[in-house]
Amino acid sequence: MRRLTWFNTTSLTLGFVFLYLPMVILIIFSFNESKLVTVWAGFSTKWYGEVIRNEAFLSAAWVTLRVAVVSSTIATVLGTMAAYVLVRAGRFKGRTLFSGMIYAPLVMPEVITGLSLLLLFIGIGLDRGIFTIILAHTTFSMCYVSVVVSSRLVSFDQSLEEAALDLGCTPMESFRLVTLPIIAPAVISGWLLAFTLSLDDLVIASFTAGPSATTLPIKIWSSIRLGVSPEINALSTLMIGVVTVGVITASIISKRATLRQQAEERAADQP
Amino acid sequence: MRRAVLILVPYLWLLALFLVPFLIVLKISLSDTAIAIPPYTPTLDFSAGWQGIREFFSELDFENFIFLTEDDLYWKAYLSSLKIAVVATFLTLLVGYPMAYGMANAAEHWRPTLMMLIILPFWTSFLIRVYSWMGILSTEGYLNQFLMGIGVISEPLVILNTNIAVYIGIVYTYLPFMILPIYSALERLDGSLLEAAEDLGCSRLSAFWLVTIPLSKGGIIAGCFLVFIPTLGEFVIPSLLGGSETLMIGKVLWEEFFNNRDWPVASAVAVILLLILIIPIVLFQRNEQKQREAEG
Amino acid sequence: MNQTVFAPWEDPAAKPLIQFKNVTKRYGDFTAIDNQSFDIYEQEFFALLGPSGCGKTTMMRMLAGFETPTEGTILLGGEDIAPIPPNKRAVNMMFQSYALFPHLSIWENIAFGLRRDKKPNDEIQARVEEMLKLTRLTQFAKRKPHQISGGQRQRVALARSLAKAPKLLLLDEPLGALDAKLRQDTQFELMDIQEKTGTTFVIVTHDQEEAMTVASRVAVMDHGQIIQAAPPAQIYEAPNSVYVADFIGDVTIIEGAVTAKDNGYDIAFAEGQSVYAESTLNLTNGQTGYIAIRPEKVAISSEKPERVRNAVQGKIIDIAYLGNLSTYYVELPNGQTVKSQTANTRRLSRRSFTWEDEVWLSWTDTAGILLER
Repeated sequence: MRRLTWFNTTSLTLGFVFLYLPMVILIIFSFNESKLVTVWAGFSTKWYGEVIRNEAFLSAAWVTLRVAVVSSTIATVLGTMAAYVLVRAGRFKGRTLFSGMIYAPLVMPEVITGLSLLLLFIGIGLDRGIFTIILAHTTFSMCYVSVVVSSRLVSFDQSLEEAALDLGCTPMESFRLVTLPIIAPAVISGWLLAFTLSLDDLVIASFTAGPSATTLPIKIWSSIRLGVSPEINALSTLMIGVVTVGVITASIISKRATLRQQAEERAADQP
Repeated sequence: MRRAVLILVPYLWLLALFLVPFLIVLKISLSDTAIAIPPYTPTLDFSAGWQGIREFFSELDFENFIFLTEDDLYWKAYLSSLKIAVVATFLTLLVGYPMAYGMANAAEHWRPTLMMLIILPFWTSFLIRVYSWMGILSTEGYLNQFLMGIGVISEPLVILNTNIAVYIGIVYTYLPFMILPIYSALERLDGSLLEAAEDLGCSRLSAFWLVTIPLSKGGIIAGCFLVFIPTLGEFVIPSLLGGSETLMIGKVLWEEFFNNRDWPVASAVAVILLLILIIPIVLFQRNEQKQREAEG
Repeated sequence: MNQTVFAPWEDPAAKPLIQFKNVTKRYGDFTAIDNQSFDIYEQEFFALLGPSGCGKTTMMRMLAGFETPTEGTILLGGEDIAPIPPNKRAVNMMFQSYALFPHLSIWENIAFGLRRDKKPNDEIQARVEEMLKLTRLTQFAKRKPHQISGGQRQRVALARSLAKAPKLLLLDEPLGALDAKLRQDTQFELMDIQEKTGTTFVIVTHDQEEAMTVASRVAVMDHGQIIQAAPPAQIYEAPNSVYVADFIGDVTIIEGAVTAKDNGYDIAFAEGQSVYAESTLNLTNGQTGYIAIRPEKVAISSEKPERVRNAVQGKIIDIAYLGNLSTYYVELPNGQTVKSQTANTRRLSRRSFTWEDEVWLSWTDTAGILLER
């Protein structure tokens, strides 16, 4: 029945070329010998050496990593709580405001989020640094986490929790022993999403970072505003590589898990 | 008791770090610029008691908003942001729809892979994805080298630092947001509906217009809003790929704040941007609601 | 009152509406339809019956134009339809999933095909109203498909495919999605509508009861071949093969070597035991034959019946109580099971047979049908 194959193949091929060619070019030219980025002058890995020896990059990367780990972990806890409140807590005073505050940051332009947080930090006299970036990142990424987790909670069969209570669990135990294991995949993907958002963020970090703390995106930003540089190409390639390996590994692991589950279900069906 | 803690912790966090900051923006947008730290007046002084609060409110005014309407830089920036966002959304739809269609019609065992290829760029740094186009589009960049190499042009094209580069950047970075909702709408489409349309006398093209398009409308609208809303306040793309002609409100706000240190005007710019965004956000919510009802 | 029986397939002068001529359909190595030739006549209600994967759906999709035969031709009104795309064929289809357009109202769904023909508006209006009335849907015209019940959706699908007054209507498992009670009512409604409109219906189903109820002729299919195409009564009473006998209704098959005798054959199914069946088949002595006996034609008694050629003794091993009927599974000494069905005209407590009872089964000379394969 699928008779439009040539059209589909063409549009998909062109689309993926469009999506991936810029990255491929960037990766290729990160191995360029020349300082002039657009002229090929032979293969070299010297720019990777430059990146690794660049103290500023390394310390910015270290700051970014710490911010991302801490903020995404807090955001996962808060976001899961918020999701639970949204889906399970029923009616309470200020529920509308609460759900509004969960969804608003998702559509709020980053410049406004950044600006408003900066004005708050100045207003209460908080010194800007790693701590303020963590606060900022936690706030917007907890909203993403709660959206991811609540969509899983909605499809969650509530009678499982009731069964746990019926069998003698306290509410806390039933959450820990029944709910959490079942929503764990959503919680994990929420954490990963929060982690990536934090790694990736330039605008909010620019507003909330002080002179004492510079994240990697801020560092890259100040350097690429001046134009293309081979060092940034090398750094980008490293980052793309890490992400690609991570995503592919994660998808293989989850695919294996699904396959195993299917195999077990098939085996169980046979007498 | 536990329930109260469960509700209060995220609630207070969001109040303190989302709602209060936003109220501060609103308040500063009504204040005056001053050469001081912080660079605006009045500041709220609780030690002066009730009198202080009354004085504080009496000094707030809409001066900054009036200023925004008088200086045509601002409303031009809003208009041009809107125009760029609308055009870019449309272009993204043109590129995204055929891809989503191709994915939805691809063989079953290919789809997870295609899906991953669409999502993968989303996990890589936004900044790097925008940056990758700088080397391609510059006057001595790869695109010009290629076109001149095969003899299509003799003079390099000026693309980087123009609106064209901004459009390319937006389409490139926001493409997954357009493809995913359309794909999920198309994938749900029951193939027998198309056969029924053909059986009742439609040509393949008219079946596409009369059945496929209306039934993927929800996905199209969702995709358009998902691209349009963040594009309107976009800052990185116009700053890196755009030129002096590229006026976008996110960039204006940034410059107002960091370069001119005019906090009240920056805040007023932010407030108006939000007011503009409320319309598409409400429409988007309605569309989602309608989708859910249609499914349920 | 002189009513002629509707049986154009027995009239050599009748012109068929549809002719399959040596049609074969292959998907790669798999043969879905294996060199089939048969005719369907105007105003017939023709049922394609078979288990899933037997090729019945492929057969119908070739008629609709969604598949083309690998070999052979299909004629509609004497014309080869292979080059005609589905949207140009005077054939409409009612889909198994109904395939109602969810974004259009009931009215617009029914008008969909008429609009494609660029008919004038008032004509469309009139035709849609007519269809709504025929299917008793007038009051739902403005609703969307998800706002009506399953049975109503089924009728919308029927109205939509009938609106263009096709020469041939194809129905793909039209009642499959309905529950048992509704299905029965709908079967009669389908027959009624078919009669009123005079359209030729081809129905695909795996439900033998449904096929038997609605169809003028039933074609039993297996592995891409039509095994037998005949009116329901003939399919049931005179199957042409063990497969058909076994597929339609309940049956006991007794296998054995045949010996010609009187107007039929004796079939020796165990040491020194044989049963007799009248038959016009021409078999050689010693050849293997099969006797198919419907359970309701087998009488059960505690004493050996007199003057009956076919009587065997056995033990009741199972009783299936169906309310109005009971089926006894009786095992003969050689291990063969024979089914006997009786109507429960008496209350259960007074039933005379129970498990482990030794009983006699008997049937007349014409009850069993002798089959070659």
